[in-house]
Amino acid sequence: MDVRHGFAVALLVCGMAALLLSALALLALPTPYARLHALSPAASLGVPLICLALALDAGPGRAALKLLFIGALTAVSGPVVTIVIGRTMAREGEQPGGDAPGEPPA
Amino acid sequence: MNAWIVAACVLLPAGLGPCLWRACRGEPAQRLAGMSLAGVMAVAVFLLVARGVHRTSYVDVALVMAALTPAGTLVFARCLAGGSGQTPQQWRRAGDQGRG
Repeated sequence: MDVRHGFAVALLVCGMAALLLSALALLALPTPYARLHALSPAASLGVPLICLALALDAGPGRAALKLLFIGALTAVSGPVVTIVIGRTMAREGEQPGGDAPGEPPA
Repeated sequence: MNAWIVAACVLLPAGLGPCLWRACRGEPAQRLAGMSLAGVMAVAVFLLVARGVHRTSYVDVALVMAALTPAGTLVFARCLAGGSGQTPQQWRRAGDQGRG
């Protein structure tokens, strides 16, 4: 096992930890607005770290560039999706006459 | 059986399971969070499997998934919002006028 593969496995473990922690947070956090916070570490930390590990293992070339592009795409789209879901939840909670609990958007 | 395949095998039940559980329960707008996270997990699983079985062309599946998952979530959020195109402030104002 050379140094590059060792670094790749270390990055893979970090990315996996971020993904598994966010899955655990989605399962364990009590309120819907708290659960929204589980989305960001997975999209902006977990998948980019895994992409970095795979690109490091693949070596320089087109394959590594494609992997880094996938990581950047996920990192950009994660916050956008979180904002949109939060807005949708706030709108549903504030509908006049709706029986949904009027929880303040934190 | 290399490290990438092992990571994918761990991520498939431990990562996708909670997301699918959340996507199946609760109010429709709250399920979106579980569905979005499931898409992110699926991208990671596809990438790891592509590397694990040494088929680099399978990375294209993950690329398509990474492009389509946010688009699908945006479409679902738009459908849940009723397609009114109103901001939350406008919603709040309309609700206040309706009550008053």
